[in-house]
Amino acid sequence: MKKTSGIEIENQAIENSIKEIATKLFRNKEVDAILGYSAGTIPMASPPIIIRKESDVNKLVWNNFCSINLAKNLLELVPKSFDDKKNNLKIGIVAKGCVGRALIHLAAENQIELKNIKIIGIACNGIINKKRIEKEIGEREIIDISLFNEDILIKGKGFEQPFSYNEYLNELCKKCKVKSPPTSPELKEICSGKCEEVLSIEDDFKDISDYELKSYDEKWKYVKDLLTNCIRCYACREACPMCYCHLCFVDQNKPLWFGKTTELSEIIIFHLIRAMHLAGRCVACGACTSVCPMGIDLNLITRKLEQIVKERFNFTSGLNIVDLPPMATLNMSDKEDFITEEN
Amino acid sequence: MNEKILNKNQISKLFETLKKEYNFFAPSKEKGNVIFKKIKDSEEIELNYLNSKIPPKDLVFPRIDTIFEYKINGKAIEIVNSKSLECRNIIFGIRPCDAYSFYLFENFFQFGKFKDELYLKKRRGSLLMGIGCNNPRNTCFCTSLNGHPFKKDHLDIFLVDLGDNYLVEPVTEKGKELVLNLKWLSDATKKDVEKAKDLSEKAELAISTKLDFKDTFKNLDSSFNSLLWKEISESCLGCGTCAYLCPTCTCFDVIDENDHYNKRGRRIRIWDTCQFCLYSLETSGHNPRDGKIQRCRNRIMHKFCYYPKNYNLIGCVGCGRCIQFCPVNNDLRLIIGKINKIKKEKEEMIVSV
Repeated sequence: MKKTSGIEIENQAIENSIKEIATKLFRNKEVDAILGYSAGTIPMASPPIIIRKESDVNKLVWNNFCSINLAKNLLELVPKSFDDKKNNLKIGIVAKGCVGRALIHLAAENQIELKNIKIIGIACNGIINKKRIEKEIGEREIIDISLFNEDILIKGKGFEQPFSYNEYLNELCKKCKVKSPPTSPELKEICSGKCEEVLSIEDDFKDISDYELKSYDEKWKYVKDLLTNCIRCYACREACPMCYCHLCFVDQNKPLWFGKTTELSEIIIFHLIRAMHLAGRCVACGACTSVCPMGIDLNLITRKLEQIVKERFNFTSGLNIVDLPPMATLNMSDKEDFITEEN
Repeated sequence: MNEKILNKNQISKLFETLKKEYNFFAPSKEKGNVIFKKIKDSEEIELNYLNSKIPPKDLVFPRIDTIFEYKINGKAIEIVNSKSLECRNIIFGIRPCDAYSFYLFENFFQFGKFKDELYLKKRRGSLLMGIGCNNPRNTCFCTSLNGHPFKKDHLDIFLVDLGDNYLVEPVTEKGKELVLNLKWLSDATKKDVEKAKDLSEKAELAISTKLDFKDTFKNLDSSFNSLLWKEISESCLGCGTCAYLCPTCTCFDVIDENDHYNKRGRRIRIWDTCQFCLYSLETSGHNPRDGKIQRCRNRIMHKFCYYPKNYNLIGCVGCGRCIQFCPVNNDLRLIIGKINKIKKEKEEMIVSV
């Protein structure tokens, strides 16, 4: 008999609670649709799904490949989220911590109204770094994946290879301190399942201290090296819950703001300006990295953004709807010294 | 016997011999991805690969291609004649499915009276030295599209990986000439040829994805306004992964890059995709493909409806890259399955969410 691992039992419990809450929400007519994750058709894939009736609840799954941030999918529904009679649609959303953070931040930026949303909170047990595993498996086809004790077991034609679960989690998940969607007394109405109040989080940013020790030239080399392979498919932007601009700066063509080629300078311009736009807004969900077809790891950029905003403004995005995001406010005491800083 | 044997430890010899006359392109591993690139050192050649992540189409249809450069002199613009388009390339290790995509390109790049010299010169100057696919992926379905993991029709020279050796079979005249000049290749034995045949049969059996395209065209042709497109596009991110990693996508954008300060510029063409917001944006501001429902539909229609209409061929080679790399696992196999199931219904208008 197959032994089930602790993580598998955890996943099953999370999935059961999602299904239970989803069923209840449909039954009580509290939602018209629910956004969640579904079973994929290839190993290590759990694509988003929108279900609209109770009988589809069994299509919802939870596993450690639910990497997409569903807040982005919700955002897309918002401009049209009313029925034929122009009644607001009520949407349930399966939310791990970073999805919850994204929802709160989007509400803080006035992009969504939380009152029409039902958060199905779960305590996320981490997303597996699929890209890292794929890289290590290399030119062999992965056919099956399972969890066995504390290992991720990868199977293919003629091979079997274990990976340590704790080691092969997304770097951001290893550092994550907001496993469940943050809540507060004013959000109680819309939260179900596992949601937790988070006042502030402490982070030593030790994981990026190596980068800090690099010289200016080494840092530049690192960034260039990191982004060389980018094909500018914009999967990172499209998966990002904070990239909701109607027309992205790189798509401006009257006049053309930035070059559109895959020459390195233009690739870098895209990624660095996108990073600037995400300062104090990124919720560290790692969706950008998880969708990159070329396996580019944007983790460092994400962590740097978090660190800078935490140190300068003592702000962490998406924890509550009361604190205004620093980039959305103007304060006369805001520091300006960064303008003259040289490194 | 026409067939020759190339030992794997002779690859560097092959490269050293051919690089004198040709630009030698081969699969190479860069940051964990297998891609085709111009080889400078035989050590860079990766022989152990299923297929490249980025299809070799960028060797004949580059991601950035300069059409011409110009100088600005007062009000006059002078075209600076760019470099010769003539080239001599060898594409070593291309898979049969990707070689077939070059054949499909011929239709697009010389449609009617239009001849795209940028493409055609590169294509004519490229000799394809392909290797059969011993281990097709679960996502491969070339056999559903008249393809085969060992199809040699669109190659100049066909190689079969026999383990330590490659069986070398010249296919075209160009290929025969080249193989003839490689005098150091040894002759293949009957046993080698039989082993290759065996591998071919095994590879064919290994293809588990079978798609039925019998009704696809007919169903698509009458389903422009079907509700199905909403369902198909629901999880789509709207990124360009499927198109940029597709061996048959040919859409491009033309851009004039002006360097005002130095009074010069260049007109380039770069890859584009129907998934992007500028793709079909008209100068009036109107965009006939202004949402992902329309964009997903365009991609499927182009390959499985417009392509058959224009060229009597399906615009897909069955390499499975879009299935394998779609960030949200929007599986083409399921999409084709849904399309095949469309019953002849009255056209329904798209209703948005």
